[in-house]
Amino acid sequence: MTDGVPFKNPGWAGNTGEYELTEAQVRGHDYVGTRPRDGGHPAGAGSYPYMLVERHPDAPLFEGPYLERFNKIKTRYPDLRATLLPTLNLAQEVRGHVSPQTMDEVASLLELPPAYVRGVATFYTMYNKQPIGRFLVQVCTNISCNLCGAEEVLKAFLVYADTELGETSQDGNFTVIEAECLAACGFATCVQINSAYYENLTAKGVPELLEHLKSQVGADGEGEGG
Amino acid sequence: MGYPYSHDSEVPILTKHFGEPEARTLAGWKARGGYVALEKALAMSPADVIEEVKASGLRGRGGAGFPAGIKWSFMPSEREKPHYLCCNADEAEPGTFKDRELIRWTPHQLIEGCLIAAHAIQAEHVYVYCRGEFFEATQVFARAVEEAYEAGIIGADLMGSGHTIDLTVHVGAGAYICGEETGLMNSLEGRRGEPRIKPPFPAAAGVFGMPTTVNNVETLCAVPHILANGGEWYRQWGTEKSPGTKIFCVSGHVRRPGNYEFPLGFPLSELIHDVCGGIRDDNALKAVIPGGSSVPFLSEAECRDCMLDYEGVVEAGSMLGCASVIVMDEKTDIVHQVRRMAEFYAHESCGQCTPCREGSDWVVKILRRIEDGRGTEEDLDTLMEITRQMTGTTICVLSDSVAAPVQSSIEKFRDEYLALIRRGERVGAA
Ligand SMILES: Cc1cc2nc3c(=O)[nH]c(=O)nc-3n(C[C@H](O)[C@H](O)[C@H](O)COP(=O)(O)O)c2cc1C
Ligand code: SF4
Ligand code: FES
Repeated sequence: MTDGVPFKNPGWAGNTGEYELTEAQVRGHDYVGTRPRDGGHPAGAGSYPYMLVERHPDAPLFEGPYLERFNKIKTRYPDLRATLLPTLNLAQEVRGHVSPQTMDEVASLLELPPAYVRGVATFYTMYNKQPIGRFLVQVCTNISCNLCGAEEVLKAFLVYADTELGETSQDGNFTVIEAECLAACGFATCVQINSAYYENLTAKGVPELLEHLKSQVGADGEGEGG
Repeated sequence: MGYPYSHDSEVPILTKHFGEPEARTLAGWKARGGYVALEKALAMSPADVIEEVKASGLRGRGGAGFPAGIKWSFMPSEREKPHYLCCNADEAEPGTFKDRELIRWTPHQLIEGCLIAAHAIQAEHVYVYCRGEFFEATQVFARAVEEAYEAGIIGADLMGSGHTIDLTVHVGAGAYICGEETGLMNSLEGRRGEPRIKPPFPAAAGVFGMPTTVNNVETLCAVPHILANGGEWYRQWGTEKSPGTKIFCVSGHVRRPGNYEFPLGFPLSELIHDVCGGIRDDNALKAVIPGGSSVPFLSEAECRDCMLDYEGVVEAGSMLGCASVIVMDEKTDIVHQVRRMAEFYAHESCGQCTPCREGSDWVVKILRRIEDGRGTEEDLDTLMEITRQMTGTTICVLSDSVAAPVQSSIEKFRDEYLALIRRGERVGAA
């Protein structure tokens, strides 16, 4: 596989998705940057966006490559119930959020009672129960980040994205929420935006980051996040 | 090497290849001596592999510090039903950030550890339960898994051994409680991640009702090195009761935060003041949480002679947990931080047990009241009493984790609470 050619996860892992990550990015050539001891900044370890975010609330569950992935997932577990989380993950990848109707569809797909699936889906915070903006901005305000100014970073996101906590900005770009520890505490403040981590963020760096994200949104407003 | 910073005195075993992109490839990993230990282990009997790990004294790195070899020996020695290994990669304990780095920098190290452990407990399938937020690490890991499958290192007749071990990356969906081993098993089965009452213990009836072992990422990553070099070799580091090296995750107010690998028994003050460059802005040290937010605070005085091994930290007045050292300087508003931690636990409580569900909620309400300047001295007694009732009374220890920061902060930083209650004075408020 040559650098620059996106490859797809053939699904050994079953449920980790299709992605647009170049070989170089997976290998780290692209995003490791210069190590701090060689003069680079710790933030050089920031990850790249890669997860293909399909956001079609009415897309079928599932067809095409998604059906293939769903079928692969089913081979990895001894029973159908265990595929529930991976299946909901896949449904959210396709539709952008998991509505009550989506939960019911997943229930019939997996031959589980609808109420059971709703009970499980609502237990987990990563299922978006309602549509969200193009960029889901999750600011960790837990202890290590909090000690390093996370609340200022959160405020900056709210001000510059012009939105309220948990709401989506008017242009449909940003939904800003508080997150619990993202396991990047040594790189405080850590912010997850869609699938990518942004580390060592300060309130000062927020406007630039938001501009960068906005520039990814196409003229038709249909840009993909990351 | 620690990442992003490293220090000359480190003993890098697990972290040696952090920051080296090539180490993520199968070829790169083999060039660094990878998969030799697996080949060796597959030629040994499961019982012998367990003996080797027992000899090393390796203790679980997920928080409880239970010896890995002994845990493995609880698994039935005859395989009458399927056995499972679950790798706990649901890292979510505030202050802990080592597993994500291990997964994304040395995915093959983890695969090798998983396969050796699976062979030892005669598991036919390994589930690596990755935290849902770890998109990037999971992708890197999935790629490595795929490469290992293609090379015949995972799957049927792996490495020509005649055994079959499968490995699946399972991705969670955001719930701290799924890090608790029985919560993890429920979640893996497609249920709410609610911890189970023990017994039955996982080795008797775990995931899918079958004998199961759950191990942390760092525990499993140490295994190939032990198999390659022998249990005695591993004991050259650390103490008698806490052998080997450990990754210390240092965060908060130090100049150079990051992951550093040292032998257990390393002095806490040296870690903070030498390795991490001391407290930033030349401030004084106020407090340290040495093992992730679920363990008690250590005051500045308690930190001075604290040795970072399982016994040493208990002696100093806290617990090693997952060795997540959170450092706080003199400007830290302790009440504010405790309130934020309590909110975390209230949010993450699965709600099965009354003391945890109701207690964590009340603790948050009272702490908010105190922070807003509407607290009374009686509130401190109430907090102590509520958290006392939350300790040792529930299915899992999440409830006890609320008590640790609350009780220890009231005991050690009572003045700060009182200043807020009596005069509305806050620390750090400029
Ligand atoms: C509330 C709670 C959360 C936990 N979270 C984690 C976690 O994120 N990662 C982990 O490895 N262990 C976690 N544990 C510990 C596990 O239950 C279990 O002891 C550990 O995975 C066993 O692995 P080890 O023996 O290799 O340490 C948690 C425990 C509790 C009670
Ligand atoms: S202690 Fe809390 S988190 Fe643990 S099982 Fe009980 S309610 Fe759930
Ligand atoms: S506290 Fe923010 S990532 Fe851990």
